[in-house]
Amino acid sequence: MPATSRLTIAILAAGLAMTGPAAFAADYPERPVRILVSFPPGGSSDLVARLLAEKLSGELGQQFVVENKPGAAGTVAATELKNAANDGYTLMLSNLTPFSVAPTRFPDTPYDPVEDFTHIAYIGAVHLGMFASPELGTPDMAAFTEKAKAEPGVLDFGSSGVGSWGHVFAVAFANEAGVELSHIPYKGSGPMRLDFRAGVIPVIFDAVPQNLPNVAEGNAIPLAVSATERLATLPDTPTFVELGYDIVAENWLGISAPAGIDAKITGTLQEALATALQSDDVVKQFDTWGIVRSDMSSEAFADYVAASAESWAPLVKQASE
Amino acid sequence: MLDNLALGFATATTLPNLLYCFLGTFLGTFIGVLPGLGPLAAVAMLLPVSFYLPPETALVMLAGVYYGAEYGGSIASILLNIPGTPSSSITCLDGYPMARQGRAGVALLMTALASFFGGVFGILVMAGLAPVLAEFALLLQPADYFAVMLLGLVAASVVSNSGTLRGVMMVCLGVLLGTVGVDVNSGVTRFTGGVQDLRDGVGLVVVAMGLFGVSEAMTSARGATPSYATEKVSWRRFLPQADEWLRALAPALRGSLIGSFFGTLPGTGQTVASSIAYALEKRVSPNRAQFGKGAIEGVVVPESANNAAAQTAFIPTLTLGIPGSTTMALMIGALMIHGVTPGPRLISEHPALFWGLIVSFLFGNLFLLVLNIPLIGIWVRLLQIPHYFLYPAVVVLISIGVYSIDHNLFDVWTMLAFGFLGYVLRLYRYEPAPLLIGFILGPMMEEYLRRAMLLSRGDPMVFFERPGSAVLIGISIVLLVLTALPRRKQKA
Repeated sequence: MPATSRLTIAILAAGLAMTGPAAFAADYPERPVRILVSFPPGGSSDLVARLLAEKLSGELGQQFVVENKPGAAGTVAATELKNAANDGYTLMLSNLTPFSVAPTRFPDTPYDPVEDFTHIAYIGAVHLGMFASPELGTPDMAAFTEKAKAEPGVLDFGSSGVGSWGHVFAVAFANEAGVELSHIPYKGSGPMRLDFRAGVIPVIFDAVPQNLPNVAEGNAIPLAVSATERLATLPDTPTFVELGYDIVAENWLGISAPAGIDAKITGTLQEALATALQSDDVVKQFDTWGIVRSDMSSEAFADYVAASAESWAPLVKQASE
Repeated sequence: MLDNLALGFATATTLPNLLYCFLGTFLGTFIGVLPGLGPLAAVAMLLPVSFYLPPETALVMLAGVYYGAEYGGSIASILLNIPGTPSSSITCLDGYPMARQGRAGVALLMTALASFFGGVFGILVMAGLAPVLAEFALLLQPADYFAVMLLGLVAASVVSNSGTLRGVMMVCLGVLLGTVGVDVNSGVTRFTGGVQDLRDGVGLVVVAMGLFGVSEAMTSARGATPSYATEKVSWRRFLPQADEWLRALAPALRGSLIGSFFGTLPGTGQTVASSIAYALEKRVSPNRAQFGKGAIEGVVVPESANNAAAQTAFIPTLTLGIPGSTTMALMIGALMIHGVTPGPRLISEHPALFWGLIVSFLFGNLFLLVLNIPLIGIWVRLLQIPHYFLYPAVVVLISIGVYSIDHNLFDVWTMLAFGFLGYVLRLYRYEPAPLLIGFILGPMMEEYLRRAMLLSRGDPMVFFERPGSAVLIGISIVLLVLTALPRRKQKA
């Protein structure tokens, strides 16, 4: 026994001697942590952030506070994250638009989506669907492309804005399919779905979850989804890949921090997030919101963000022509 | 319908629901009274609290916060000429002159009663017609929405009490200011001068607080605002004169009707409702000469319209799942966190939630009335604070409110610039209310105009082929011509 106590004291002393920058990382978190969200409160990303914030607060014993910083396609939040101290007390719910789309779309974007950040953990993704109105009379993709080819430029499609992922994806689809569609941009998904229901636009490219009620009611026919595999929420709908189109898109969500963050902090956060993502209520909520969860190491996530930005760049350029 | 209402009563009258309904209206009123904080800020602040409540209770509380803040906004409009929301900028037109005549108590009482009247009217419309009205929004197309916006803008220029020409000029200036930022159709940034902070346009609260709040403070510093500290606070002084009670009834009814109708159109809601109702009243009221000088009808009409619209705005939000405003988007968020997705099946799948909410509106409106009548005395006493204390405090509060939206100092400076603009406009007798409404509705009108033109491949006939849009455009023209004509006659 005495031997062990002496050993303990020795270790403690060694630990004290090393007090310095390392201690900060070891004790993390010591005060509340901010999570920036690039959308206004109430949207699905905001809800994800709030749910995870609650879980992380419980696990790490410090408040994780959601701070909404919407604006300029999410670049306001990402810029603030880049400029924040890399002490682990400012995080962001990173997503497709500011990191994969904006840098190409706005050449004056003041950050590099890979170099300026530490991408800590991937959370999951929402996929895009192509929905047709039943009145169009095209029950599947083959019928749709046939109709679209017969009358080039006549069919309108809606997206949630110029340069939005729906728009970018639709342009890529039209190119692959060899069809000509006319773009009707909207300010977000809500007004677009209203016009879709009212019969103003026959086709929309929109995130899958918010369109599920319309599909269930028979007011929207899902023609294809942008995932690599079929979605649990729409098991009968083929993917674009299945139909022979080489296009995949997912609006990914992750947790990112400024560049050069301590590896210990990254580790702590990763572990806590992994536990949070496996908890029953998170699994249940993500399922109802249509978010597909997936595990990814921090390195894999960083590579993923880089690959995502690279693969979207030519598509974004194409759509903005 | 009776079964449904019975279910609603059962849900709304549980103790926690009643309690949270009261708490919501109470907090909403107090947040709404603070200049710079409107319903949006109030709902956003309390949204996280709702995550810990069952869905019915959460929505009942947030709805209470929402219309509580709407009402609180009218208090600031009447007392200080600072509208909490664009729709209450119409209430300023007659409410503020009443306050300056020492009749703030009367204006506040009538506001409370008119809000209650409009609110209950809207609730009854909702209870009776919600399933029918749910589909109504689907009958309209971009061309029709364009015409609604046009009518709203014409109404806004007509409400101006310093002449239609000045009103039109202010609306146009507002529309121009509204074009700053990213264009929806091309993604190109317009009129930002390369300033990053302007990419999303100028914030609504920034413009409203600058034009009204800051410029009011500047005017008071110049000594142009007489002191009304002499008003005695007594119950008798809060009661309107006998004939005013009668005069207020018809406007309240007209306002509620117009409000209930426009509330059901997603996105148009209260601003359009209160300006159209005021413009109409200004044409049909026997007392129209008094409008803008403290007419009681001028307070009753926009308030009843505004509150009726606030209630019926829940119809498209809940039954189509399409938020009519940012505040409504927050409500949808509150439902989504509980796994309830608003949509066509909401009424049948969650009847307790839907009807419980409707009945809770009834209680909420009652709470507002009970809560606010005793408070009128306190609000009026606010005016006894000397201006050299009151207005600096107001400017500080507004600045905090504006800063708290995006934590961006740029917004505060922009607000001060708008304050200066508002002051100059005031010196030359240009009213800020039409400018603010043009600023809100202009970008929406442009969006629908260009969408309708895109869909018709550039054929403008689309606006005249659809009966809805043709009729509304016709009314807009007639309204504008009618208002311009009598002035010409007087001059000749």
